[in-house]
Amino acid sequence: MTELFLTVFSAAFFVTIIRTTTPLLLATMGGLVADLSGALNVALEGMMLIGCLTAVIVSVYAPWYVAVGAGLGAGALLGLVMAFFSFRLKADIILVGFAINILAAGGTVFALALATGGDKGTSINLQSKAVPSVDLSFLDAIPGVGPVLTAFLSGHSVLSWIAAFIVFAVWYFLFRTPWGLWLRGVGEYPAAPEAAGIPVNKVRTWSLIVSGALAGLGGAQLAMFNYVGFTRDMTAGRGFIALGAVLLGARHPVGALIAALLFGAFEALAVVMPGLFNEAPAELIRMIPFIVTIAALILFSVRAQRALALRGVK
Amino acid sequence: MSSISGTNKSSRWSAVRKEIGRAGGALLISLIVTFVIVLLTSKDPLGAFEQLLTQLPQKTRTFGYWIDDVAKLTITGLAFSLVFQARQFSMGVQGQVYIGALAATYVALSPLGASWAGIPLGIAAAMLAGAVYGFLPGIAKAKLGANEIVSSLMLNYVAIELCNFLVRTNLPKPQAGVLTTNDFPDSAVFPMLVDKTRIDLGLILAIVAVLVVWFAVYRTSWGLKLRLVGHNARFAEYSGIKSTFIMVSAMTASGALGGLLGSMFVQGQTYGKLTVLFEGNLAFEGILVAIVARSRPLAVPIVALFYGYLRQGAQLMNIRTDVPAEVIGVVTAIIILLVSSSYSLAFLKRLFRRGVATAPTPAAAAGAAK
Amino acid sequence: MALLEAIGISKTYPGGVVANDGVNLVVESGEVHAVVGENGAGKSTLMKILFGIEQPNAGALMLDGKPVRFANPREAIEAGIGMVFQHFSLVPSFSVYENVVLGSEPRSGIRFERHKAIAEVKAISDRFRLSVDPMPAVMTLPVGQQQRVEILKALYRNARILILDEPTAVLAPQEVQELFVAIRSLVAQGKTVIFIAHKLPEVLEISDTITVMRQGKTVGQVKAKEVTEKSLAAMMVGREVTLRVERKATDQSQRVAEIEGLRVVNARGTEVVAGLDLNVHAGEVVGLVGVEGNGQAETLEAVAGLRAIAAGTIRIADKDATAMSVLDRRALGLASIPEDRIARGLATGATVAENLVATRLNETRYVRNGLLDLKAIKANALQLIERFSIRVGGPASTVDTLSGGNMQKVVVARELAEQPKLLLVNQPTRGVDLGATQFIWRTITDARDAGAAVLLSSADLGELLALSDRLLVLYRGRIVAAFVNTPDLTPETLGTYMLGLSTQTADEMKAALR
Repeated sequence: MTELFLTVFSAAFFVTIIRTTTPLLLATMGGLVADLSGALNVALEGMMLIGCLTAVIVSVYAPWYVAVGAGLGAGALLGLVMAFFSFRLKADIILVGFAINILAAGGTVFALALATGGDKGTSINLQSKAVPSVDLSFLDAIPGVGPVLTAFLSGHSVLSWIAAFIVFAVWYFLFRTPWGLWLRGVGEYPAAPEAAGIPVNKVRTWSLIVSGALAGLGGAQLAMFNYVGFTRDMTAGRGFIALGAVLLGARHPVGALIAALLFGAFEALAVVMPGLFNEAPAELIRMIPFIVTIAALILFSVRAQRALALRGVK
Repeated sequence: MSSISGTNKSSRWSAVRKEIGRAGGALLISLIVTFVIVLLTSKDPLGAFEQLLTQLPQKTRTFGYWIDDVAKLTITGLAFSLVFQARQFSMGVQGQVYIGALAATYVALSPLGASWAGIPLGIAAAMLAGAVYGFLPGIAKAKLGANEIVSSLMLNYVAIELCNFLVRTNLPKPQAGVLTTNDFPDSAVFPMLVDKTRIDLGLILAIVAVLVVWFAVYRTSWGLKLRLVGHNARFAEYSGIKSTFIMVSAMTASGALGGLLGSMFVQGQTYGKLTVLFEGNLAFEGILVAIVARSRPLAVPIVALFYGYLRQGAQLMNIRTDVPAEVIGVVTAIIILLVSSSYSLAFLKRLFRRGVATAPTPAAAAGAAK
Repeated sequence: MALLEAIGISKTYPGGVVANDGVNLVVESGEVHAVVGENGAGKSTLMKILFGIEQPNAGALMLDGKPVRFANPREAIEAGIGMVFQHFSLVPSFSVYENVVLGSEPRSGIRFERHKAIAEVKAISDRFRLSVDPMPAVMTLPVGQQQRVEILKALYRNARILILDEPTAVLAPQEVQELFVAIRSLVAQGKTVIFIAHKLPEVLEISDTITVMRQGKTVGQVKAKEVTEKSLAAMMVGREVTLRVERKATDQSQRVAEIEGLRVVNARGTEVVAGLDLNVHAGEVVGLVGVEGNGQAETLEAVAGLRAIAAGTIRIADKDATAMSVLDRRALGLASIPEDRIARGLATGATVAENLVATRLNETRYVRNGLLDLKAIKANALQLIERFSIRVGGPASTVDTLSGGNMQKVVVARELAEQPKLLLVNQPTRGVDLGATQFIWRTITDARDAGAAVLLSSADLGELLALSDRLLVLYRGRIVAAFVNTPDLTPETLGTYMLGLSTQTADEMKAALR
């Protein structure tokens, strides 16, 4: 037990949490943007997965940042597809989302087999690149706190720093720009922005594109930093956990950040536990985010109902 | 909409013909796209397509794969049809399959499993467990307003992880470290219907399930209420139909079917034991089956026949040529996208004629003015 | 030169309903121009055409003497036309100023300049005497204030012409006066207001010019100073006599519905029915009179069992139905024709036969041991299709293959398939053409003649006067006046009570509150 405590409160564990949180956080921000525009993006999982594979394959032939951009672009493209079918062709957005997930599950394995010459499990024989980590060891020079700062702040993925900036950017966009106002208006009561001449479907389309781009970026981090290379189904439900984090975070960027960190911490725990104990129930720990999401879902629904009841509605 | 003149039977047939036309068109488009992909990636594209489309019925063994797949697709298609009929987007069939399989496994590996009760009790336990698992998101939605899509998705992962955990730690297994349980005793494994194939009792269960679900939906008052709730929940409430009860019971019944599918997996000839991730994402294929069948129980097995053929044909193509079976995911996605949307051949024609960069259509402008 | 002119506007909706037929309208700059007419006279359609929501089939619009065409509201807004609908388009959780500026926000770079937005909203509301606090979320505001936010939205976009679609329908009299103050101040500062209404006293009070519409046509344009309520009413209805329905003498001794101390609280926590006592007897029609939103709809829903009540008892056919389910109430002989017949009264994707038995799934005639008796369901459908002459392919056709009028007939046929003891009817002829109106009035009267107790709510006073035996005026969820219907009873008399300007004493009401 002491070992566990020492691990959990170590700087190394903090770095692990940041690592496990980053893909989740990016997908969560994607889910948040879609959710606030009124679309439940159940395709985050598929968008991430395709983002992973695209980034890995492109990184074989191009520098890492081009690969990251490709992962992002792949996600954005899927968002556009989703928007086209649900807004232009009036298909149900949930069904479109699952079609994309199915496409991703099969399509990535197919493409992987083509790229590797038949290997359907991993991209182990591809020379894929990694996203560099940011070395801040110069902070050591600061007297006193320097080493601690280095231990905590150094060694994170470039994308982790970008993700932190994206949380701020999403917040700024939603609450400080006119388009954020449009997007929230479209999500809450589309008739109002429509009457004000705002192109509602265009707003929705752009939010799905951004949502997909963020999920794809999350995929790039997963396949170019957390793991280097692609494994089939490597997202393992992270896209759905992200949906949960949006809800748990009360549909606010800061709340979503905290929720993503929490879920990231559970994942980190599931990663380190088996190394400490033989019979560690890693599966049960991986289960926690899903259960917490259900609990949060119920809690928020009950709270919404109670708020109505308080206002005298029976 | 169709005209109100003419006899009513012929108008119904024309509607059915239209649906078949749309589904057939979607299938054709998806196969063309797939062929283009294969053409670009394979050394022997024609050979690959020959394997995909013609080889399956040639051998008893491969024919058996097909029929076994059809039976399973039928059950998951029925499970999704039931919830779609009530216009609930519960996505929980996958979780119900795992929970049902776990329940069946505990029965099969208990002393009871070695007796005559192994099969019926296994099925019953699986269906019960699945029903409970389907009930949960239903009641959470009805009583607490919790979104059923999200909660059922989360429960899927909970079930998968629970199954992983129990197989690794709790259930008896042949040797340490493998992620499968001991083989079930013969008395707990579905008997083969056709020698040397995977065709087993599951096929009969699927046929029975189709008839039972059809009967429940079209011949009972519960089914009529279910359809009325699905068409217009406000009207149902106004008519005095307890829509929450109907909704929860449909999700529970759908869960029982999911559980049954779990038992068909682990107690069937294919496995005869529980192994991690046995389901291979088959449960979600029910979405396609249900959508193309327009949630009509009698159409579900027909769609399953076609779709199962493609799925298993893809497996042959995978083994015998250089094209991976997973290309079929492209077919699935395109069919779902097209059938669930308002696509029509006329629309596609218009789309291609005008190209991509066009001004907003009058329809879009009218939509914006609403 | 007229500011805005509509010349020979015609509009036929798909389905053949002629909403506008050669309509002319001439609006001068700086006036309040009222467009009056009964429900269904085509006022709203004309306004939708002016605002670019609908496109006319024929005719032209002239703005400042130049021909214009609005493909969508955006173009109308850019041309300086603003419109306030009866149903507001406001984002509930957004603050007042956010709603006002939504779509044309002041910005610097990518930043939304909140302070500038707040200041501008304040400035406009001060200038036009539309005092609204810019900060609170609109969902916390009363309806009158929300309406001001809508007006501010139009003014913020520099509307020169402001179209108000029945703005007083949702307002309390006090709020109506405040609205009129604002309208006068708008006109004083050079704006032009087009005011849609059907309440004549208000129209005469506020407007300079009045255009009268009837059955999709313009009847004439008059100066407000030159007409009286009487002459205006005559123009609106055409003939002095309205449709009257032949009614039999019925035995009205038996009390079918008894409602005591009914209180209903809506989703916002306001009391919409505040202690209602009323009885309905066999063989009579009781009309609920009132400006919309004074508790009529909620009362009907509460009696039908579709809305939870806060207090009171409801007895139907001598049984306490307060806690009964919808089905149990229906078993006592309750039938109800909802206001929104297609959205609430039908499952359009299901078949006609299924819709016709949807409310009777607890009866052994159609369901035994949980199994449907398909033969009986089909026979029932065939019989009702015949009796109500519904034009349909057959019992197995889905409802969405029917025309609008025939869809309405399906609802009426189901509810009146058997003689009801208590019939609830809300807005029976809203959005219905004249032929169908006659059919529906006849059907309601037949049910009454056969001994049904009928509780009727309608926004159309003519309809209420034509059909009712007794009339109860509701104001803010209370009965403020009660009348036995006689030929002497006029809409004007009812009007003063509807607007809460006067209240009868308990003694005065006694005779009509039996």
